[in-house]
Amino acid sequence: MNKFWKTGEPYVLLTGTALAVMLVLTLTLVGVVMTNGLGYFWPRALLKFDLKDGTSALGQVMVKEKNPISGVSRLQLKVANRDVFGQDFRWIDEKDIASRSLPTDAMLIERREHGNYFGFLKGVTAEGLAQSASPQETLQQAMKLVAGKMEDTRAIKKQMSNLNHTVERLRLKLLKLEYGGKEKNSAEISELTAVREKTMAEFTRLNEQATAAQAEIGRITGQFTDVTGGSKDIALMEIVALQRPNSMSFLAKCGAYLERVRELLLDDPRESNTEGGLFPAIFGTVMMVLLMSIFSLPFGVVAAIYLREYAKDGLMTRMVRIAVNNLAGVPSIVYGVFGLGFFVYGIGGSMDSLFFPERLPTPTFGTGGILWSSLTLALLTVPVVIVATEESLASIPKGIREGSLALGATRFQTLTRILLPMATPGIMTGLILSMARAAGEVAPLMIVGVVKLAPTLPFDTNFPFFHMDRKFMHLGFHIYDVGFQSPNVEAAKPMVYVTTMLLLAIVVAASSAAIYLRNRMRRKYTSSTF
Amino acid sequence: MTHTVIDKSRRNDRLAEVLIRIGGILVIVSVVWILVMISRVALPLFYPPSATVVATVKLPTSISAGKALAVGAEENQRGAFILDETGTFHFLKVADGTLSASIKAPVTPEGATRVVSAEYVGKSAYNLLWDNGAISSVAVALSSTKDADGKASLSHDVTPQESLSFAASSGIVQSFARPVEGKGTVRIDRLAGDRLRITYQLVEKDLLGNEKRNNAICEINDALPGKLTAIAVDAKGHYLYAGTDTGMLLRWDVSEPGQPHLLESMPASDDRQAITSLALLLGDVSVAVGDAGGKLTTWFPVKVAGSGEDRRLTRIHTLRPNSGGVASIIPSPRDKTLFSGDGREIHVDHTTSERNLLTIKSANPIIQAALSPKGNTFSALDANGALTVWKMDIPHPEISFGTLFGKVWYEGYDKPEYAWQSSAANDDFEPKLSLVPLVFGTIKATLFAMLFAVPLALLAALYTSQFMSPKLKGVVKPVIEIMAAIPSVVIGFLAGLWLAPLIDKSVLTIFLSLVIVPLLMVFTLFFWKRIKTASPLQRATRGHEFIAMVPVVLLGIYLAFLLGGLAEFQLFAGDFKQWLFSTLGVRYDQRNSIIIAIALGFAVIPIIFTIAEDAISNVPRNLTAASLALGASRWQTAWRVVLPSALPGVFTAIMIGFGRAIGETMIVLMATGNTPILSWSLFNGLRSLSANIAVEIPEAPFNSSLYRVLFLSAVLLFIFTFIINTVAEAMRQKFRKKYGRY
Amino acid sequence: MAQAHDQSGGAPILSVSNLNLHYGEAHALKNINLDMTRHQVTSFIGPSGCGKSTLLRCFNRMNDLVESARIEGSIRLDGDEINESSTDVISLRRKVDMVFQQSNPFPKSIYENIVYGLRIAGVNDKATLDEAVERSLKSAAIWNEVKDRLNDSALGLSGGQAQRICIARAIAVNPEIILMDEPCSALDPISTLKIEELIEELKKQYTIVIVTHNMQQAARVSDVTAFFYLGELIEAGGTRMIFTNPLKKQTEDYITGRFG
Repeated sequence: MNKFWKTGEPYVLLTGTALAVMLVLTLTLVGVVMTNGLGYFWPRALLKFDLKDGTSALGQVMVKEKNPISGVSRLQLKVANRDVFGQDFRWIDEKDIASRSLPTDAMLIERREHGNYFGFLKGVTAEGLAQSASPQETLQQAMKLVAGKMEDTRAIKKQMSNLNHTVERLRLKLLKLEYGGKEKNSAEISELTAVREKTMAEFTRLNEQATAAQAEIGRITGQFTDVTGGSKDIALMEIVALQRPNSMSFLAKCGAYLERVRELLLDDPRESNTEGGLFPAIFGTVMMVLLMSIFSLPFGVVAAIYLREYAKDGLMTRMVRIAVNNLAGVPSIVYGVFGLGFFVYGIGGSMDSLFFPERLPTPTFGTGGILWSSLTLALLTVPVVIVATEESLASIPKGIREGSLALGATRFQTLTRILLPMATPGIMTGLILSMARAAGEVAPLMIVGVVKLAPTLPFDTNFPFFHMDRKFMHLGFHIYDVGFQSPNVEAAKPMVYVTTMLLLAIVVAASSAAIYLRNRMRRKYTSSTF
Repeated sequence: MTHTVIDKSRRNDRLAEVLIRIGGILVIVSVVWILVMISRVALPLFYPPSATVVATVKLPTSISAGKALAVGAEENQRGAFILDETGTFHFLKVADGTLSASIKAPVTPEGATRVVSAEYVGKSAYNLLWDNGAISSVAVALSSTKDADGKASLSHDVTPQESLSFAASSGIVQSFARPVEGKGTVRIDRLAGDRLRITYQLVEKDLLGNEKRNNAICEINDALPGKLTAIAVDAKGHYLYAGTDTGMLLRWDVSEPGQPHLLESMPASDDRQAITSLALLLGDVSVAVGDAGGKLTTWFPVKVAGSGEDRRLTRIHTLRPNSGGVASIIPSPRDKTLFSGDGREIHVDHTTSERNLLTIKSANPIIQAALSPKGNTFSALDANGALTVWKMDIPHPEISFGTLFGKVWYEGYDKPEYAWQSSAANDDFEPKLSLVPLVFGTIKATLFAMLFAVPLALLAALYTSQFMSPKLKGVVKPVIEIMAAIPSVVIGFLAGLWLAPLIDKSVLTIFLSLVIVPLLMVFTLFFWKRIKTASPLQRATRGHEFIAMVPVVLLGIYLAFLLGGLAEFQLFAGDFKQWLFSTLGVRYDQRNSIIIAIALGFAVIPIIFTIAEDAISNVPRNLTAASLALGASRWQTAWRVVLPSALPGVFTAIMIGFGRAIGETMIVLMATGNTPILSWSLFNGLRSLSANIAVEIPEAPFNSSLYRVLFLSAVLLFIFTFIINTVAEAMRQKFRKKYGRY
Repeated sequence: MAQAHDQSGGAPILSVSNLNLHYGEAHALKNINLDMTRHQVTSFIGPSGCGKSTLLRCFNRMNDLVESARIEGSIRLDGDEINESSTDVISLRRKVDMVFQQSNPFPKSIYENIVYGLRIAGVNDKATLDEAVERSLKSAAIWNEVKDRLNDSALGLSGGQAQRICIARAIAVNPEIILMDEPCSALDPISTLKIEELIEELKKQYTIVIVTHNMQQAARVSDVTAFFYLGELIEAGGTRMIFTNPLKKQTEDYITGRFG
């Protein structure tokens, strides 16, 4: 007994416990995100509860728990129909439930606005559509009809957006001409104004056409009743997706699940980001990260080469090292502040007064944008690239360098022909790690260019394709914004979990890849040296 | 052929070397550049203010200086005006003193011939008191533009303010007229013989829209403690302030028509010098008092200890004394700056920060002076008829080291406090920009997080490097590295929206698990000791102990959860938070410091762990081997031999973790309520410097005080982390040298 | 100080006079005077740290890489001073090549290893390169072993093969002198023997300076031997003479194994 304590085995166990706590924490985090994120898209059963007071409720069971005050067990039910009931969720005490059932014809209707609708189909109103045997089939046909017609209006919308772009370009051109001197350019101005007016007229015409078409489509409606008996007309064009989860087979549910994943990855968000897809956020994140790599990679690699291959061991080197460590250690928010003061208001402001004085006071580059965000993050992630590159250069045996130099190669030749190819895996590691860091960094972006909802992507088919001045959306900021700034946090939570899962998956996958690459490289050189 | 190639590659080599060196130096440059750029934005906070004379011009002979009742100038210092006794505004060009126009006040009350005095009531409006006791109100509009050739032109206008007019009345010495919201208008007259009369013109509208006017006239009957020497009325006509030759300050509530009552009467100073001028500061709450001895103080009502809601005027700020008496006080229309003067010397001071901004001197005694509506132009007319216009440049009067880092007595507060409140709905709001609560919040968050993270990370690092089987180590280390890569926004989100409600439901779980998990561990120990004697098992468990501890920890937390519910029910009547509030008076915030400690701790654990683990692993193996060979157990070796050698590295790890925690933004932003309070309570939230920047900077106007203060807090964060990182790096380099390993 | 005796009578290809080298405070080479003759193998022997490798590295200015090194005195290659800042180091290294103790093939194919020296000099003609590869691999007596796998990575070769690849790589640029810094110390006896045979062969075309720890090796392969001790050249002369009848006591003690 005594010896057992003396040898300190208990302390070993204590240290082991600390590690255990750490791992439990990590696994809990990942577990919570996974369970909440993965399940969201699975079509859940629509349960009908008949309550003892004679009323009934239809919805999906979200949580089962003990009421913290009274201690009775209760259910949290998502009853949807926000526009009818006022709230998406309600609590039901289990003791109030008389019976529960799974009505096979209960429908889940995902709408463009007001969230989901849970109810039952009564009928369909559509001009020129033969009523089929069952209202369900009619609904299917009507949906197809609507989809076809929507396709036509989409063509008009496309045209409208092009016209819109033309008008905007003309406006900027006019501004420039007017700035250059109203009298001097008067001929051109009047010419352009005429063109612009013509385009605008065309736009108005198309707009009317589109509105009329929309109104016509809007007349195709479905009649639904909710569980309390209230009825509701829903225009079919307002419906994003229809489900009858209670009568779906397992395979059909899988299909629905995959469809939702597709929507998540490729569609635009709806309902102030709490529904729909994440495409603009994913696109913005990826583009910002790639743009950042263009800046941080060369800078980081060059700095690492300086430290490892060119610098003499002295005060200068020590200072560079301290600088690198500080770049890595300075809080990210400080980079944001710097980006705002230097890039946005400093460089951006000067660019505006130099190149776009006619647009002032509306800023072009003098406001947050993807370019400034990438530059700010590039500065933030440069140390990651430096450290990784330096480490991989350090792991190359000295003999290799001497061998090359002894053959009459210059240092630069040695570098480009021997060292850099050998260090590539290390540089890649650094790059991937820096990208993972940038993908997850939010604080500085909030200051220098991220927005909750960007009307346009920073890349499109309009010249000059890359719009460096545009603001963009970002997965990390999306989490913050939807989770903490949206008016209906409870309803937004599932979406936040899904976004979190996506971001976590991206970051963890990237870092795992980087760590794997690095460990493999470490093994390779340590074994081949001797 | 090869020779040219060699020459070329040699040139390339030299070029590359230069470029690479530049690249390396650029790293230093960028760090310095960051500091320089953010400091450059923050520094103007501390620039001294300035007043530059734009021009001094002689008045045209047609205007007599002695008869001037008011002066004014516009924002660009190109135009000025003078009001004379006839009620005429004379507009001048500042550059050469030529008369641009003279416009007579559009309304002259019946029977009035001469203006006796003009009171500036803000927003370019003047109340004119005529010789027959009638009052009319006019607004002056003066602005200037500069055309392409640089020629300035003035545009001016004088418009009547119909709503504020009073009929003639006799015996009036001084008069104040004010609109009363929703009621009508009021005039307060000082009559000869130190009588004060209050006249309400009440307008009532009945349901049919008919207006009914009636007047309520009364006189103040309170005995005055001396001769009246100065009077002021606030813009709403609610309070009347008066000063006497005996140095007494009086305040009446005159808001109820016909029922004025004296609120208080007190000496304004110890030496009882006569009060020479009174003025209300922007916001109408504080009153500035100047006396014959040159003392200048500001007062506002403050809750008196032990008297409930009763508020009494209290001396708050004492400003720099004027050498002569304080003849007049001009409050700034934009902030709490006061211009006060004895005629020859004008002091410009900010009341809240008690900052002495400027001293403007004039050769001849000044008889009239005014500030432009935006407060950036000061104009003064001296007795010799010379009009001088100053351009004022006081960018951040309210900021000083004192207001940033010291206690400040803000208007409406009961005592000096450290406060951060950058904005509010109303215009005359005074921003409170004390960095102390934010620095405090940062330190509090960091300390709690470190308390949680350091023991866990260091013990785990010790275990991983010394006791764990190498094979497992190859798995655990990457897991921790991936833990380090988890974006802080994810941690913050889970802390704020998952952990906080969870802990909210069962606060006691946290405290109980601090007891139960160690208890369970001790229990496991006894069990462990038993199985240790069985040697094959011992061999199997060696290096894997922590796996056995995972279920123990989980079990402990679960038990704590169960017991927590039970304990809350038994001991705290089912509601711990209620108990906390009623018994200890501690408010419970859902997003409190416990959440922060866990979330922020979670974020820095992998950083501390990785660096500490590296440091401990880098202690040469032969040291360990020597110790083990002497018969020391693995714990004794680790504790007595390895850890002391690795101590600098471990210290570095803690420092770097500390630096990271200080600057972390998203977690603190999402997991706390962001309330800037000074409280060490575990159950309260906080606001850190970094989160504060993230919250405020999108709303901060470019180059405003707030904007610059936020940059200043970024500078603070930079310098703080710079010191920590540099010390840590220096220690690490020393440590590396000692053991000669990278 | 001892002066090397000119054995063959031809002009020395490499001539060292009054060479001093300091590493910071340490005086690593003290007033060295030595001549090396064309088409001969000169071996440097001596205990560890005696400066023999340092001297070798002076011949192609590899000491430039060591920041603290300071060299005074003269080294002449074919009569041209090479120890000057104006010396074209790149060209010098193409004339005076080096093989290291640790074989250091580049992580490239065998073929690319051999032609590396040519490529960096701008030779990209396929036929020239092919010819150079075959010639140098044959000269390095490894052609038969690797001719079928020229495109394999050189990292997969055994230690002895790798070292011969490194020799072939040096030969490919047609140097005048090959410096060998303990080329066999990391090799097994059979590989060592092969390298020694190779040296015998190579000296017909090149001048070789070899640093070795192994006195038998020096006796076997070299024509001239120089003995160094504590940074001084104690004695240099015909190998047979040094090993059988050294002039200095220190040399004799070292050779007979009384120290070192």
